[in-house]
Amino acid sequence: MFKLFKSITKAGDSIVKYPFAPLDVSDDFRGKPEYNAKDCIACAACTRACPANALIMETKADENSRRWELSMARCIFCGRCEEVCPTGAIKLSKEFELAVTNKADLYEDATFTLAHCRECETPFAPRKAVDYAMDLLVQSGISEEQQAKRHEQVETCPECLRKQSMLDYDNVFHGKHLNNVHLKQEERV
Amino acid sequence: MSEMKGIREIVGKDHTATVPVPQDENTIKLKSVLLEDIQRSAYVYRVDCGGCNGCEIEIFAATTPVFDAERFGIKVVASPRHADILLFTGAVTRAMRMPALRAYEAAPDPKIVVSYGACGCDGGIFHDLYCVWGGTDKIVPVDVYIPGCPPTPAATIYGLAVALGILDQKLKGSSVKEEEGEKATLKHTGIPLEMKVIIEREARRLAGYRHGGLIADDFMNILVESTTETVDTNIKAYLDEKDDPRLREIFDNLYRVSLAELCGRSQPADARAED
Repeated sequence: MFKLFKSITKAGDSIVKYPFAPLDVSDDFRGKPEYNAKDCIACAACTRACPANALIMETKADENSRRWELSMARCIFCGRCEEVCPTGAIKLSKEFELAVTNKADLYEDATFTLAHCRECETPFAPRKAVDYAMDLLVQSGISEEQQAKRHEQVETCPECLRKQSMLDYDNVFHGKHLNNVHLKQEERV
Repeated sequence: MSEMKGIREIVGKDHTATVPVPQDENTIKLKSVLLEDIQRSAYVYRVDCGGCNGCEIEIFAATTPVFDAERFGIKVVASPRHADILLFTGAVTRAMRMPALRAYEAAPDPKIVVSYGACGCDGGIFHDLYCVWGGTDKIVPVDVYIPGCPPTPAATIYGLAVALGILDQKLKGSSVKEEEGEKATLKHTGIPLEMKVIIEREARRLAGYRHGGLIADDFMNILVESTTETVDTNIKAYLDEKDDPRLREIFDNLYRVSLAELCGRSQPADARAED
Protein backbone atom coordinates (compact mmCIF):
# COMPACT_ATOMS: atom_id res chain seq x y z
CA MET A 1 0.00 0.00 0.00
CA PHE A 2 2.74 2.45 1.00
CA LYS A 3 4.71 1.30 -1.98
CA LEU A 4 1.81 2.37 -4.18
CA PHE A 5 1.57 5.82 -2.57
CA LYS A 6 5.31 6.17 -2.95
CA SER A 7 5.20 5.45 -6.67
CA ILE A 8 2.21 7.78 -7.04
CA THR A 9 4.08 10.66 -5.42
CA LYS A 10 7.13 9.86 -7.51
CA ALA A 11 5.12 9.90 -10.74
CA GLY A 12 3.79 13.35 -9.86
CA ASP A 13 0.78 15.13 -11.28
CA SER A 14 0.26 14.79 -14.99
CA ILE A 15 -2.78 17.08 -15.23
CA VAL A 16 -2.08 20.49 -16.72
CA LYS A 17 -3.24 23.44 -14.66
CA TYR A 18 -4.59 25.03 -17.80
CA PRO A 19 -7.70 27.11 -17.17
CA PHE A 20 -6.30 28.30 -13.83
CA ALA A 21 -2.76 28.91 -15.07
CA PRO A 22 -1.56 29.88 -18.55
CA LEU A 23 -0.66 26.93 -20.75
CA ASP A 24 2.84 26.66 -22.18
CA VAL A 25 2.57 25.92 -25.87
CA SER A 26 5.49 24.79 -28.00
CA ASP A 27 7.64 27.23 -30.00
CA ASP A 28 6.19 26.16 -33.31
CA PHE A 29 2.57 26.34 -32.22
CA ARG A 30 0.38 27.88 -34.90
CA GLY A 31 -2.38 29.89 -33.29
CA LYS A 32 -4.39 32.96 -34.24
CA PRO A 33 -2.99 34.82 -37.28
CA GLU A 34 -1.89 38.20 -35.93
CA TYR A 35 -2.43 40.85 -38.57
CA ASN A 36 -0.65 44.18 -38.72
CA ALA A 37 -2.61 46.40 -41.11
CA LYS A 38 0.14 49.03 -41.17
CA ASP A 39 2.63 46.70 -42.83
CA CYS A 40 0.09 45.21 -45.22
CA ILE A 41 0.43 46.32 -48.85
CA ALA A 42 -2.83 44.64 -49.95
CA CYS A 43 -1.02 42.54 -52.55
CA ALA A 44 -3.45 39.64 -51.99
CA ALA A 45 -0.69 37.01 -51.89
CA CYS A 46 -2.19 35.57 -48.69
CA THR A 47 -5.68 35.31 -50.16
CA ARG A 48 -4.29 33.30 -53.06
CA ALA A 49 -2.33 31.00 -50.76
CA CYS A 50 -5.15 30.41 -48.27
CA PRO A 51 -6.44 26.86 -48.85
CA ALA A 52 -9.65 27.40 -46.91
CA ASN A 53 -10.52 30.82 -48.40
CA ALA A 54 -10.47 32.23 -44.89
CA LEU A 55 -8.69 35.25 -46.35
CA ILE A 56 -10.62 37.24 -48.89
CA MET A 57 -9.67 40.32 -50.92
CA GLU A 58 -12.36 42.33 -52.69
CA THR A 59 -11.53 45.19 -55.03
CA LYS A 60 -14.12 47.83 -55.73
CA ALA A 61 -12.90 50.26 -58.37
CA ASP A 62 -15.93 52.54 -58.09
CA GLU A 63 -15.43 52.98 -54.35
CA ASN A 64 -11.66 53.23 -54.78
CA SER A 65 -11.12 50.58 -52.14
CA ARG A 66 -9.76 47.11 -51.61
CA ARG A 67 -11.01 45.18 -48.63
CA TRP A 68 -9.09 42.42 -46.89
CA GLU A 69 -10.96 40.04 -44.62
CA LEU A 70 -9.90 37.22 -42.34
CA SER A 71 -12.50 34.77 -41.11
CA MET A 72 -11.21 32.97 -38.05
CA ALA A 73 -14.15 30.59 -38.38
CA ARG A 74 -12.76 29.14 -41.58
CA CYS A 75 -9.06 29.43 -40.78
CA ILE A 76 -7.24 26.10 -40.50
CA PHE A 77 -4.05 27.65 -39.03
CA CYS A 78 -1.74 26.22 -41.70
CA GLY A 79 0.54 29.26 -41.79
CA ARG A 80 0.57 29.59 -45.56
CA CYS A 81 -0.31 33.28 -45.35
CA GLU A 82 2.76 33.84 -43.19
CA GLU A 83 4.93 31.99 -45.70
CA VAL A 84 3.94 34.13 -48.64
CA CYS A 85 3.57 37.57 -47.02
CA PRO A 86 6.30 39.77 -48.54
CA THR A 87 6.24 42.30 -45.70
CA GLY A 88 5.62 40.02 -42.73
CA ALA A 89 2.31 41.73 -41.97
CA ILE A 90 0.64 38.48 -40.97
CA LYS A 91 2.19 36.18 -38.39
CA LEU A 92 0.76 33.21 -36.55
CA SER A 93 0.78 33.84 -32.82
CA LYS A 94 0.51 31.42 -29.91
CA GLU A 95 -2.99 32.58 -29.05
CA PHE A 96 -5.41 29.63 -29.00
CA GLU A 97 -8.30 30.89 -26.88
CA LEU A 98 -10.56 31.79 -29.76
CA ALA A 99 -14.00 30.59 -28.73
CA VAL A 100 -16.70 33.24 -29.19
CA THR A 101 -20.39 33.52 -28.53
CA ASN A 102 -20.94 36.10 -31.25
CA LYS A 103 -19.92 35.02 -34.73
CA ALA A 104 -19.12 38.57 -35.85
CA ASP A 105 -16.14 38.54 -33.49
CA LEU A 106 -14.46 35.90 -35.63
CA TYR A 107 -13.96 38.35 -38.49
CA GLU A 108 -11.22 40.90 -39.03
CA ASP A 109 -11.08 43.30 -41.93
CA ALA A 110 -9.02 46.15 -43.31
CA THR A 111 -9.70 48.60 -46.12
CA PHE A 112 -7.09 50.05 -48.45
CA THR A 113 -7.16 52.69 -51.16
CA LEU A 114 -6.14 52.21 -54.78
CA ALA A 115 -3.51 54.02 -56.82
CA HIS A 116 -4.60 55.67 -60.07
CA CYS A 117 -2.64 55.57 -63.29
CA ARG A 118 -0.83 58.78 -64.27
CA GLU A 119 -2.01 58.57 -67.86
CA CYS A 120 -5.49 57.14 -67.93
CA GLU A 121 -6.58 57.72 -64.31
CA THR A 122 -7.89 54.18 -63.85
CA PRO A 123 -7.13 52.43 -60.56
CA PHE A 124 -4.65 49.61 -61.19
CA ALA A 125 -3.01 48.59 -57.89
CA PRO A 126 -3.27 49.28 -54.15
CA ARG A 127 -1.55 52.56 -53.27
CA LYS A 128 0.56 50.96 -50.56
CA ALA A 129 1.87 48.28 -52.94
CA VAL A 130 2.94 50.98 -55.41
CA ASP A 131 4.68 52.93 -52.66
CA TYR A 132 6.35 49.78 -51.40
CA ALA A 133 7.69 48.93 -54.86
CA MET A 134 9.13 52.45 -55.15
CA ASP A 135 10.67 52.24 -51.66
CA LEU A 136 12.33 48.95 -52.57
CA LEU A 137 13.78 50.49 -55.73
CA VAL A 138 15.12 53.48 -53.79
CA GLN A 139 16.61 51.19 -51.16
CA SER A 140 18.32 49.04 -53.78
CA GLY A 141 20.52 52.06 -54.48
CA ILE A 142 19.46 53.53 -57.82
CA SER A 143 20.54 57.05 -58.72
CA GLU A 144 18.34 60.14 -58.25
CA GLU A 145 17.84 60.59 -61.96
CA GLN A 146 16.69 57.01 -62.34
CA GLN A 147 14.43 57.37 -59.33
CA ALA A 148 12.41 60.04 -61.08
CA LYS A 149 12.14 57.90 -64.21
CA ARG A 150 11.15 54.82 -62.25
CA HIS A 151 8.62 56.82 -60.28
CA GLU A 152 6.75 57.59 -63.48
CA GLN A 153 6.96 53.98 -64.53
CA VAL A 154 5.73 52.62 -61.22
CA GLU A 155 2.76 54.95 -61.16
CA THR A 156 1.56 54.02 -64.64
CA CYS A 157 -0.79 51.13 -65.27
CA PRO A 158 0.48 48.12 -67.30
CA GLU A 159 -1.81 49.00 -70.19
CA CYS A 160 -0.39 52.49 -70.59
CA LEU A 161 3.16 51.21 -70.07
CA ARG A 162 2.66 48.85 -72.97
CA LYS A 163 1.40 51.66 -75.17
CA GLN A 164 4.32 53.86 -74.19
CA SER A 165 6.89 51.23 -74.99
CA MET A 166 5.22 50.62 -78.34
CA LEU A 167 5.60 54.28 -79.22
CA ASP A 168 9.20 54.31 -78.04
CA TYR A 169 11.12 53.65 -81.26
CA ASP A 170 14.09 52.03 -79.48
CA ASN A 171 11.92 49.29 -78.06
CA VAL A 172 10.49 48.11 -81.34
CA PHE A 173 12.51 45.50 -83.18
CA HIS A 174 10.84 44.94 -86.52
CA GLY A 175 13.98 43.41 -87.91
CA LYS A 176 13.85 40.44 -85.58
CA HIS A 177 10.43 39.28 -86.75
CA LEU A 178 11.20 39.92 -90.36
CA ASN A 179 14.30 37.79 -90.13
CA ASN A 180 12.37 34.94 -88.56
CA VAL A 181 9.82 34.95 -91.36
CA HIS A 182 12.60 35.13 -93.87
CA LEU A 183 14.42 32.19 -92.32
CA LYS A 184 11.30 30.06 -92.29
CA GLN A 185 10.73 30.75 -95.96
CA GLU A 186 14.27 29.71 -96.71
CA GLU A 187 13.80 26.46 -94.85
CA ARG A 188 10.77 25.60 -96.90
CA VAL A 189 12.65 26.16 -100.09
CA MET B 1 -43.92 18.01 -52.45
CA SER B 2 -44.58 21.39 -50.98
CA GLU B 3 -42.61 22.75 -48.01
CA MET B 4 -39.88 20.83 -46.20
CA LYS B 5 -39.15 21.68 -42.60
CA GLY B 6 -35.95 23.67 -42.22
CA ILE B 7 -35.42 24.05 -45.97
CA ARG B 8 -36.04 27.22 -47.94
CA GLU B 9 -36.33 27.16 -51.71
CA ILE B 10 -34.38 29.82 -53.56
CA VAL B 11 -35.01 29.11 -57.23
CA GLY B 12 -37.24 26.22 -58.20
CA LYS B 13 -36.77 22.81 -56.64
CA ASP B 14 -33.06 22.45 -57.32
CA HIS B 15 -31.79 25.41 -55.35
CA THR B 16 -32.42 25.35 -51.66
CA ALA B 17 -30.98 26.80 -48.47
CA THR B 18 -31.41 25.62 -44.92
CA VAL B 19 -32.96 27.70 -42.17
CA PRO B 20 -31.89 27.17 -38.58
CA VAL B 21 -34.44 25.58 -36.29
CA PRO B 22 -36.38 28.42 -34.63
CA GLN B 23 -35.90 29.01 -30.92
CA ASP B 24 -38.79 30.33 -28.85
CA GLU B 25 -38.44 32.92 -26.10
CA ASN B 26 -39.13 30.50 -23.27
CA THR B 27 -36.25 28.29 -24.32
CA ILE B 28 -33.89 31.25 -24.36
CA LYS B 29 -35.08 32.23 -20.87
CA LEU B 30 -34.69 28.66 -19.68
CA LYS B 31 -31.18 28.56 -21.07
CA SER B 32 -30.04 31.47 -18.90
CA VAL B 33 -31.52 29.68 -15.88
CA LEU B 34 -29.72 26.51 -16.89
CA LEU B 35 -26.41 28.36 -17.09
CA GLU B 36 -26.85 29.54 -13.50
CA ASP B 37 -27.89 26.15 -12.18
CA ILE B 38 -25.55 23.95 -14.12
CA GLN B 39 -22.46 25.06 -12.12
CA ARG B 40 -20.58 21.80 -11.71
CA SER B 41 -21.63 19.26 -14.22
CA ALA B 42 -22.30 19.50 -17.93
CA TYR B 43 -22.92 16.48 -20.08
CA VAL B 44 -21.67 16.72 -23.61
CA TYR B 45 -23.04 14.85 -26.57
CA ARG B 46 -20.95 14.87 -29.68
CA VAL B 47 -22.76 15.08 -33.01
CA ASP B 48 -20.58 14.24 -35.99
CA CYS B 49 -22.10 15.91 -39.05
CA GLY B 50 -19.61 14.56 -41.54
CA GLY B 51 -16.24 15.62 -40.19
CA CYS B 52 -12.84 14.03 -40.75
CA ASN B 53 -12.63 12.72 -37.16
CA GLY B 54 -9.81 15.13 -36.28
CA CYS B 55 -12.19 17.05 -34.04
CA GLU B 56 -13.36 13.84 -32.34
CA ILE B 57 -9.79 12.87 -31.57
CA GLU B 58 -9.19 16.26 -29.94
CA ILE B 59 -12.44 16.03 -27.95
CA PHE B 60 -11.30 12.70 -26.56
CA ALA B 61 -7.83 14.12 -25.97
CA ALA B 62 -9.51 16.73 -23.78
CA THR B 63 -10.99 13.99 -21.60
CA THR B 64 -7.64 12.19 -21.13
CA PRO B 65 -5.78 12.51 -17.80
CA VAL B 66 -3.52 15.30 -19.12
CA PHE B 67 -6.31 17.79 -19.77
CA ASP B 68 -8.94 15.94 -17.78
CA ALA B 69 -12.13 17.78 -18.63
CA GLU B 70 -13.97 15.56 -16.16
CA ARG B 71 -12.48 17.46 -13.22
CA PHE B 72 -14.89 20.26 -14.23
CA GLY B 73 -17.73 17.77 -14.52
CA ILE B 74 -17.64 17.82 -18.31
CA LYS B 75 -18.52 14.32 -19.38
CA VAL B 76 -19.05 12.86 -22.83
CA VAL B 77 -22.29 10.89 -22.90
CA ALA B 78 -23.60 8.37 -25.39
CA SER B 79 -27.11 9.70 -25.95
CA PRO B 80 -28.45 13.16 -26.79
CA ARG B 81 -31.22 12.56 -24.24
CA HIS B 82 -28.64 12.88 -21.46
CA ALA B 83 -26.95 15.95 -22.88
CA ASP B 84 -26.77 19.56 -21.72
CA ILE B 85 -24.28 20.56 -24.39
CA LEU B 86 -24.36 19.43 -28.00
CA LEU B 87 -21.03 19.54 -29.77
CA PHE B 88 -21.49 19.70 -33.54
CA THR B 89 -18.42 18.82 -35.57
CA GLY B 90 -18.05 18.62 -39.33
CA ALA B 91 -19.31 20.69 -42.22
CA VAL B 92 -22.90 19.26 -42.19
CA THR B 93 -23.06 17.07 -45.25
CA ARG B 94 -26.41 16.59 -46.95
CA ALA B 95 -26.67 13.03 -45.62
CA MET B 96 -25.92 14.07 -42.03
CA ARG B 97 -28.32 17.01 -41.85
CA MET B 98 -31.30 14.93 -40.75
CA PRO B 99 -29.43 12.82 -38.15
CA ALA B 100 -27.96 16.04 -36.74
CA LEU B 101 -31.42 17.61 -36.52
CA ARG B 102 -32.76 14.46 -34.86
CA ALA B 103 -29.99 14.64 -32.24
CA TYR B 104 -30.84 18.31 -31.69
CA GLU B 105 -34.54 17.56 -31.25
CA ALA B 106 -33.79 14.60 -28.98
CA ALA B 107 -31.75 16.65 -26.50
CA PRO B 108 -33.91 18.04 -23.69
CA ASP B 109 -34.50 21.80 -23.59
CA PRO B 110 -32.71 23.96 -22.60
CA LYS B 111 -29.59 22.86 -24.44
CA ILE B 112 -26.38 24.64 -25.32
CA VAL B 113 -25.21 24.17 -28.89
CA VAL B 114 -21.51 24.44 -29.58
CA SER B 115 -20.11 24.59 -33.08
CA TYR B 116 -16.76 22.84 -33.02
CA GLY B 117 -13.84 23.20 -35.42
CA ALA B 118 -13.39 25.16 -38.64
CA CYS B 119 -15.91 22.97 -40.47
CA GLY B 120 -18.54 23.39 -37.79
CA CYS B 121 -18.06 27.16 -37.62
CA ASP B 122 -18.18 28.00 -41.31
CA GLY B 123 -17.69 24.87 -43.38
CA GLY B 124 -13.88 25.04 -43.14
CA ILE B 125 -12.07 23.87 -46.24
CA PHE B 126 -15.29 22.20 -47.41
CA HIS B 127 -17.32 25.42 -47.35
CA ASP B 128 -17.95 25.57 -51.10
CA LEU B 129 -18.57 21.88 -51.77
CA TYR B 130 -21.82 20.95 -53.49
CA CYS B 131 -22.63 18.31 -50.88
CA VAL B 132 -22.32 20.31 -47.65
CA TRP B 133 -24.51 22.93 -46.02
CA GLY B 134 -21.39 24.58 -44.63
CA GLY B 135 -21.55 25.07 -40.89
CA THR B 136 -23.70 24.14 -37.93
CA ASP B 137 -25.44 27.52 -37.77
CA LYS B 138 -27.14 26.77 -41.07
CA ILE B 139 -29.29 24.08 -39.41
CA VAL B 140 -29.50 24.89 -35.68
CA PRO B 141 -29.07 28.05 -33.56
CA VAL B 142 -25.49 28.06 -32.21
CA ASP B 143 -24.42 29.52 -28.85
CA VAL B 144 -20.65 29.17 -28.97
CA TYR B 145 -18.17 28.82 -31.83
CA ILE B 146 -14.85 27.07 -31.19
CA PRO B 147 -12.61 27.64 -34.25
CA GLY B 148 -9.51 25.59 -35.02
CA CYS B 149 -8.62 22.76 -37.33
CA PRO B 150 -8.93 20.92 -35.02
CA PRO B 151 -9.12 22.98 -31.82
CA THR B 152 -6.48 21.82 -29.32
CA PRO B 153 -7.68 20.15 -26.10
CA ALA B 154 -6.89 23.38 -24.24
CA ALA B 155 -8.99 25.37 -26.72
CA THR B 156 -11.77 22.81 -26.25
CA ILE B 157 -11.76 23.28 -22.49
CA TYR B 158 -11.69 27.05 -22.92
CA GLY B 159 -14.58 26.88 -25.38
CA LEU B 160 -16.70 24.77 -23.07
CA ALA B 161 -15.90 27.16 -20.22
CA VAL B 162 -17.13 30.02 -22.42
CA ALA B 163 -20.26 28.01 -23.22
CA LEU B 164 -20.93 27.51 -19.52
CA GLY B 165 -20.32 31.19 -18.82
CA ILE B 166 -17.30 30.56 -16.57
CA LEU B 167 -14.72 32.33 -18.72
CA ASP B 168 -15.18 35.39 -20.92
CA GLN B 169 -14.47 35.47 -24.60
CA LYS B 170 -11.15 37.11 -25.49
CA LEU B 171 -11.39 37.47 -29.25
CA LYS B 172 -12.85 40.71 -30.61
CA GLY B 173 -13.69 41.43 -34.20
CA SER B 174 -11.81 44.37 -35.70
CA SER B 175 -12.06 46.62 -38.69
CA VAL B 176 -9.17 48.82 -39.78
CA LYS B 177 -9.09 51.60 -42.36
CA GLU B 178 -5.95 52.67 -44.15
CA GLU B 179 -4.63 55.99 -42.89
CA GLU B 180 -3.48 58.84 -45.09
CA GLY B 181 0.14 58.39 -46.17
CA GLU B 182 0.55 55.11 -44.32
CA LYS B 183 3.56 53.12 -45.52
CA ALA B 184 4.68 49.54 -45.07
CA THR B 185 8.02 49.34 -43.29
CA LEU B 186 10.96 47.95 -45.21
CA LYS B 187 12.80 45.21 -43.38
CA HIS B 188 16.58 44.77 -43.18
CA THR B 189 17.34 47.96 -45.08
CA GLY B 190 21.10 47.53 -44.62
CA ILE B 191 21.28 44.41 -46.79
CA PRO B 192 21.29 44.60 -50.61
CA LEU B 193 18.17 43.18 -52.23
CA GLU B 194 19.99 40.45 -54.14
CA MET B 195 21.70 39.17 -51.04
CA LYS B 196 18.34 39.07 -49.23
CA VAL B 197 16.95 36.91 -51.99
CA ILE B 198 19.94 34.56 -51.85
CA ILE B 199 19.75 34.21 -48.05
CA GLU B 200 16.01 33.63 -48.06
CA ARG B 201 16.17 31.12 -50.89
CA GLU B 202 18.94 29.15 -49.21
CA ALA B 203 17.18 29.16 -45.83
CA ARG B 204 13.93 28.01 -47.38
CA ARG B 205 15.73 25.30 -49.33
CA LEU B 206 17.27 23.95 -46.15
CA ALA B 207 14.53 24.38 -43.57
CA GLY B 208 11.29 24.28 -45.53
CA TYR B 209 9.21 27.24 -46.56
CA ARG B 210 7.74 28.62 -43.34
CA HIS B 211 10.66 27.89 -41.02
CA GLY B 212 13.13 28.94 -43.67
CA GLY B 213 11.46 32.33 -43.80
CA LEU B 214 11.65 32.69 -40.02
CA ILE B 215 15.30 31.61 -39.90
CA ALA B 216 16.27 33.95 -42.76
CA ASP B 217 14.51 36.75 -40.88
CA ASP B 218 16.49 36.06 -37.69
CA PHE B 219 19.75 35.77 -39.62
CA MET B 220 19.24 39.08 -41.42
CA ASN B 221 18.22 40.76 -38.18
CA ILE B 222 21.58 39.77 -36.72
CA LEU B 223 23.42 40.96 -39.85
CA VAL B 224 21.69 44.34 -39.73
CA GLU B 225 22.32 44.86 -36.03
CA SER B 226 26.02 44.00 -36.04
CA THR B 227 29.17 45.42 -37.62
CA THR B 228 31.88 43.43 -39.40
CA GLU B 229 33.71 42.96 -36.10
CA THR B 230 30.74 41.86 -34.00
CA VAL B 231 28.88 39.69 -36.50
CA ASP B 232 30.67 36.44 -35.53
CA THR B 233 30.13 36.89 -31.81
CA ASN B 234 26.48 37.87 -32.34
CA ILE B 235 25.76 34.80 -34.44
CA LYS B 236 27.54 32.60 -31.91
CA ALA B 237 25.55 34.09 -29.03
CA TYR B 238 22.28 33.51 -30.90
CA LEU B 239 23.15 29.91 -31.72
CA ASP B 240 24.27 29.19 -28.17
CA GLU B 241 20.97 30.55 -26.89
CA LYS B 242 18.93 28.36 -29.28
CA ASP B 243 21.21 25.32 -28.81
CA ASP B 244 19.99 23.46 -31.87
CA PRO B 245 22.47 21.61 -34.15
CA ARG B 246 20.09 21.84 -37.13
CA LEU B 247 19.88 25.61 -36.79
CA ARG B 248 23.66 25.78 -36.47
CA GLU B 249 24.08 23.90 -39.72
CA ILE B 250 21.64 26.18 -41.54
CA PHE B 251 23.24 29.33 -40.13
CA ASP B 252 26.69 28.10 -41.25
CA ASN B 253 25.33 27.62 -44.73
CA LEU B 254 23.66 31.02 -44.79
CA TYR B 255 26.84 32.68 -43.59
CA ARG B 256 28.80 30.95 -46.31
CA VAL B 257 26.48 31.92 -49.14
CA SER B 258 26.25 35.52 -47.99
CA LEU B 259 30.05 35.76 -47.74
CA ALA B 260 30.40 34.26 -51.20
CA GLU B 261 27.91 36.81 -52.51
CA LEU B 262 29.87 39.66 -50.90
CA CYS B 263 33.25 38.49 -52.21
CA GLY B 264 32.03 37.41 -55.63
CA ARG B 265 30.85 40.86 -56.60
CA SER B 266 33.55 43.50 -57.08
CA GLN B 267 31.39 46.65 -57.28
CA PRO B 268 28.17 45.84 -55.51
CA ALA B 269 26.44 49.22 -55.49
CA ASP B 270 27.64 50.73 -58.77
CA ALA B 271 27.13 47.70 -60.95
CA ARG B 272 23.45 47.58 -60.14
CA ALA B 273 22.90 51.31 -60.51
CA GLU B 274 23.76 51.17 -64.19
CA ASP B 275 21.18 48.62 -65.29
